[in-house]
Amino acid sequence: MRHVLWMVVFAALTAVVFGIAAKGTERQRLMYGIKVFAEFVAIAFLLGWILYFIPSP
Amino acid sequence: MAARIEKDRDVATPSFAWLVGLAAWAIPGAGHLMQKRWRRGALAGGAVWVMFLTGLWLGGHLYSVTGQEQGFSVFFQLLPMIANVGVGLLYIICWIAGVGFTEHAQLVTYEYGNTFLLVAGLLNYLVMLDAFDIAAGRKP
Repeated sequence: MRHVLWMVVFAALTAVVFGIAAKGTERQRLMYGIKVFAEFVAIAFLLGWILYFIPSP
Repeated sequence: MAARIEKDRDVATPSFAWLVGLAAWAIPGAGHLMQKRWRRGALAGGAVWVMFLTGLWLGGHLYSVTGQEQGFSVFFQLLPMIANVGVGLLYIICWIAGVGFTEHAQLVTYEYGNTFLLVAGLLNYLVMLDAFDIAAGRKP
């Protein structure tokens, strides 16, 4: 559970900076930040499930 | 026509922008605060500070080139060190104080800490460029 927490913290902090550095109106940048955060979390879960089915050596 | 457009775009970068860039690198968020972009500076700088301090807290370590490396192995230290140095004075203070340069590979969160420290530096480069662009008039 703690791993998920740190992954979410990482995604949130990175998304904040990406959103601030992006171009566009304030709303567009906010939406971009939310999108980056959601993508980080979604891809992490996807990769987690893919790795779950790969047997460890 | 294209040459004329290029000439029109050739606007000198004000020296203040370089100062802002330097301040933004040295202290995360300072570049925006110097330009009275309070919220932007607090959010961007705050994110970098939190990420860096969390990285240290999780047991991550900062990379440095000691001169002991042999052959190509220097690149395995140099490249992550460039990322770490992105946090500016925080890296230098840690280096002087000897904090964060010891490896704690036995900790479960060690790799998380390393990632947080590396990405904090890289994000601060991004924040620095953003502050520089604002000061140079290239960004609203």
